[in-house]
Amino acid sequence: MHILLVEDDNETASYLMKGLKESGHVVDRASDGKEGLFMAFDSNFDALIVDRMLPELDGLTLITKIRERNSDIPIIILSALGEVDERVKGLKYGADDYLAKPFSFSELLARLDAVIRRNQHDNNNSLLELGDLKLDLLSRRVEREGQIIDLQPREYKLLEFLLRRPNQVVTRTMLLEGVWEYHFDPQTNVIDVHISRLRSKIDKPFKGKQMLFTERGAGYALRYDE
Amino acid sequence: MLLGLSVGLVLMFLFFTTARDIELEADQKIIEKVEDLNNIYLRYREQGLLNYIRSETSRATLDIYRLYDSQNNYIAGNIKSEPKDVKVNDDGWIEFAYQVNENGVEKVHYGRGRNFITPRRNLRLIVGRVVNDEKILKERFLYSSLWSIIIIIFLGIFGGYILSRNFLKRISDINKTSKKIMDGNLKERLPTTKGKDELNQLSSNLNEMLDRLDSLMTNMKEVSDNVAHDLRTPLNRIRTNLEVTLMSNPDIDQYKKSFEDALVETDNLIKTFNSILSISKVESGTSDLDRNPVSLKELILNMHELYEPIAESDGIKLNYEVNDDIIINGNYNLLSQALANLIENAINYGCSNDNPSINVGAKQNENLLSLWVSDNGIGIKDVDKDKVLERFVRLDSSRSLKGSGLGLNIVSSAVKFHEGTLKLINAKPSGLIILIEIPVES
Repeated sequence: MHILLVEDDNETASYLMKGLKESGHVVDRASDGKEGLFMAFDSNFDALIVDRMLPELDGLTLITKIRERNSDIPIIILSALGEVDERVKGLKYGADDYLAKPFSFSELLARLDAVIRRNQHDNNNSLLELGDLKLDLLSRRVEREGQIIDLQPREYKLLEFLLRRPNQVVTRTMLLEGVWEYHFDPQTNVIDVHISRLRSKIDKPFKGKQMLFTERGAGYALRYDE
Repeated sequence: MLLGLSVGLVLMFLFFTTARDIELEADQKIIEKVEDLNNIYLRYREQGLLNYIRSETSRATLDIYRLYDSQNNYIAGNIKSEPKDVKVNDDGWIEFAYQVNENGVEKVHYGRGRNFITPRRNLRLIVGRVVNDEKILKERFLYSSLWSIIIIIFLGIFGGYILSRNFLKRISDINKTSKKIMDGNLKERLPTTKGKDELNQLSSNLNEMLDRLDSLMTNMKEVSDNVAHDLRTPLNRIRTNLEVTLMSNPDIDQYKKSFEDALVETDNLIKTFNSILSISKVESGTSDLDRNPVSLKELILNMHELYEPIAESDGIKLNYEVNDDIIINGNYNLLSQALANLIENAINYGCSNDNPSINVGAKQNENLLSLWVSDNGIGIKDVDKDKVLERFVRLDSSRSLKGSGLGLNIVSSAVKFHEGTLKLINAKPSGLIILIEIPVES
């Protein structure tokens, strides 16, 4: 993927660029808002990572200007202002996701992946499918290998969230925000327990391959390897 | 000045209206008397009139009479001397002065009355009343009014001068103190006196504000001291870890291990920082966190749903009790974070016996809403109760367990945001109840 990073701090920018390149992305960098705007319009990027506080042109204004051009390019804001209301503000200005500094790099990667793919195929299909695992959004029926799986409402929501992001890493924070709509750091491994419950229903009873994987240091991924 | 004038005007108005009322009444009596005299004359003629006047003037009276014959000679009546300065008004009233001999002293009296002339025009009678008192009263009143106006004006000017001088002095005192405070002497307070006037109220309000700021500042200082102290420890661990790894000529696995340790430490540091930030944001009072109707039933059910699996995996029973749907105008995220912290605390520290269970519940008693998390663990010593609410405090018994020590502070700041109180109660036979009470409008 071709990514534009708009970040004024050289140190942060070089780490992020290194990490993104390491993960297989092509990265260009702009060091202020004006340059960022110019570059965003000039060439074709797959996603933008924009710092909230930028010289010349503020991050939120930059996003507004890009959205005014009717561009639906995925944008993630990075900000030192991490409170929920700041987050809501960022999303209101047209960002696809909002990440508070300091963040873990794996969190950024997972979210970047998520916004890019969400943009690629916003399918209106009522059937979510991965391998032999099927989830019917209308009848709320889940089955694997043709067998119906009985899920609690939250387990269903969790699985739906994962099935909408197949073969992607999702972090614990993403799950807590996306499935439970909470915005705080739990001090316990509460998400892990929910995942292992789900795993015991969708993986363990079946002789097929494991699908719900733990990604060390990052989160989880629902994958189906042929 | 203005005060004096207006007081004077009011007094004068009052006097003249009452005086006029009294005069009108007296005049009315004289008119009635003239009518009586006319009746007497018509029935008993001259002799009757004479007898009447004689009998009337034989006793002390304020009514005055003087009867003349057709040649204008005095016949009878208690005005013995000829009236002087006679003034005849258009409406038939006459006003006059006359001499009276009072215990050998000649005095001038004043009278007001009417002329009564018999139909045959052989007799003329002046009927009236003495108006000495009224006249004197009027004069005296005018005189004293004038003086009171002068005195009031004088007092007004003088008093105003003193008052404003006093007022200005107090303002300048306040200014001086403010300067001192601005110069950094934060313990300084504005002078107040015993009175309850606006200036005093202003000063004491400002003082209360300064007290609040002072306590906030002290709080901030404590926090930053604590932050410095408690963050130094993990930072030091990270530093030592990295330094030692570099020194020891490590292989790739040792590097990896060292980096992973450092990552875990920094993640914990970030969590601590986030907690501190959210606490100070809520506590600083500057937070613009929204308040929306929050259903406590929904809140508790969601929390139960989130934590039930982890409790179960630790062998703990997580129960909830909430009957009616209780609605509070609050911040959902703050409340759920507070509840999550309490439940996590209970899971981490509160369940050390054989049959551990945690209860989460809420109820509303008229204007008081209670929200609680209780466990059946070892409880907490009374001496430790206040301590656990301080920042970064973890009781020695729990030092080895993970956590920032800020969990209860987040709860406490969330409770403060909702204007509630936080109570720690030891349950019987064992366990700890953490009770949040929030007053609501029913």
